[in-house]
Amino acid sequence: MVEIEIDENACVGCGSCVDDCPNDVYEMDEAKNKTKVVNADDCMACLSCHEICPAEAMEHKNIHVAKRLYIDRRVNDILNKII
Amino acid sequence: MAYEIKREGKEIFGDFKPELIPNECGGDIDDYEEALHVLMKFVGSMSSALEQVSGRGANAIVYQAGKRMGHEAGKMVEKTDNLEKAMQELSEILGAEFYFDMWKPAGQEGYTIEKGDETVVKLIFRDCVVRQTLRRTGLPQKGPLCYLLYGYTVGAVEEVMDIRGKLDIDHVGPNACLKTLTIKWSGK
Repeated sequence: MVEIEIDENACVGCGSCVDDCPNDVYEMDEAKNKTKVVNADDCMACLSCHEICPAEAMEHKNIHVAKRLYIDRRVNDILNKII
Repeated sequence: MAYEIKREGKEIFGDFKPELIPNECGGDIDDYEEALHVLMKFVGSMSSALEQVSGRGANAIVYQAGKRMGHEAGKMVEKTDNLEKAMQELSEILGAEFYFDMWKPAGQEGYTIEKGDETVVKLIFRDCVVRQTLRRTGLPQKGPLCYLLYGYTVGAVEEVMDIRGKLDIDHVGPNACLKTLTIKWSGK
C-alpha cells in the first residue's frame, strides 16, 4: 500500500497537487493552509504531484518506481561529483 | 584506402563470416546505452517533426503504425475471450518495457465495468519506453508518440480477443499513466 508523507514545513499551500491529482488523493487543510492526504488508497503513484509541487514537499513510499532509462549515467556521475 | 578519423575508443578488429556473428560485434553495456540514447533522440525528433508537418494527423499516422505492430504481435499468442487471460497475454506481447497492471479505485468492486455491449477496464502503465523517449527529448506526454502505444495495445487486444477496442488516455505522469481500455463485443 502506498504511503504518502507531506512535509508541512515545506508545503507552501499552493494547492497544485489537489488540482492535478486525477484520483482526489489530496485536499486542502483550510485551517493550516497546507495539503493533506485524504485518499491514499486511490493513489496510483503517477507522481504528477511530485512534478508539479514547487516545494518538493512530498514523499511516496512503497511504490513501483518506473525505469528511468532517459537519465544519462555519465551526466549523473559528473553531477554526483559536483553535488 | 580509408581516411581514418581520429576518435576516442578503440576500433574492433576480428574475423567475419556471413553465417556467424562474431563476439566482437556484441559491444558492452555502455554501447547499448549509447545506442538507446541515440535512438531515443531520433524517435523523439521524428515525432516532433511529424507533428510539425502533419499537425493533428501525426497522431493518426503513429496510431496506425502502432496498431499494425499490435496486430502482428497479437498473432503470436493464443486467442481468447477471457479478458484476464487477454491482459496476461498482452503483458507478454508488450514485454518488460511496458509494465502495466489493471487498476481500479479503492471503492470500486471489480476491475471491469460492463456498459451494454462494452467492457471497460482501466490500465496503469508503470514502465513505458515511450515515456522514457519523451522525457529524454523534452517532449510533452500525450503527443503523437503516446499514440504508438495506444495503437499497439488496441491492435494486440483486437487480435487476441477478436473484438473492436479503444484506448483513452486518462492521465499521464512521470511515473505512471492511466488509460481506459474499452472493448466492444458487438465488433466481433
